Amino acid sequence: MPAQTGFLRSLPYFSTLNEADMGRIERAVIERPFDRGEVMFLEGDPCKGMYVVKSGMVRVFKSSPEGREQVIMVAKPGDTFNDIPVFDDGPNAASAAALEQSTVLIIPKEAVLSLISGCPQAGAIIGLFAKRLRRMTTLIGDLSFRSVLSRLAKVLLEVGVSESGQSAPQRLTQEEMAAMVGTVRDVIGRGLRLLEKEGAIKLQRQRIVVVDRKKLDALV
Amino acid sequence: MELAVPEVNSAKCEGCGDCIELCPAHAVGMVAGKANIVRPDDCDYCADCETFCPRSAIRCPFEIVISVGEPA
Repeated sequence: MPAQTGFLRSLPYFSTLNEADMGRIERAVIERPFDRGEVMFLEGDPCKGMYVVKSGMVRVFKSSPEGREQVIMVAKPGDTFNDIPVFDDGPNAASAAALEQSTVLIIPKEAVLSLISGCPQAGAIIGLFAKRLRRMTTLIGDLSFRSVLSRLAKVLLEVGVSESGQSAPQRLTQEEMAAMVGTVRDVIGRGLRLLEKEGAIKLQRQRIVVVDRKKLDALV
Repeated sequence: MELAVPEVNSAKCEGCGDCIELCPAHAVGMVAGKANIVRPDDCDYCADCETFCPRSAIRCPFEIVISVGEPA
């Protein structure tokens, strides 16, 4: 699709490509129109590739199980989205839908990755950044949708180590837990006492013991 | 086993005495101008001293472990 060359070359991803690489991208690109409101892909689905807005506007969003949405990006012509799963080899990190009549270019994952296949170290570094960006995206969803108690349960499950395991347990103050959860120390104190009352944890001197993991999982 | 008590960073402590005044168990005292847990047996590890310290000189960390036993 030679008609795409000028547009693709205007994107930071492809502006310095040689002719051979540019040709490979152009041959792989799929152009798709979407009506207003039409969903392009869903969070959690396998990644088909990176998307570029050619015309129109696209909202990229996280959803809660109850259907609430948090828009994390409004993509306009020239913006790319769904880059994260291309480089960290995970599922789609968010969903996307057209805000108005839009045309997007889909660049298959394999075509994008072929540009860095000659430098595995670059691939490893970019993959690491993509993973970090995915964690930030997840944090946006957590802060938007989860209650403090749910976020606290998630933190306890993530940092807790098995009593019988080899790893030394993490030691966190309530202030540090509050910073991880996105709240204040007093709320953490109340949350821990509530979780103890529910039978999910036991508060001991200098120890928080998760005694019923299933109860914490249910909150998360 | 030694009783776990709040950790006081004497380099940060300015000896303001807020923790002594506010400790509900009266476990904190002043030693050489710095806060110290002088009555460790009375300390409930409530972590209020960590909250009230204006210099963040007191830490009350918790180990987070996952029990391998059956739920109670």
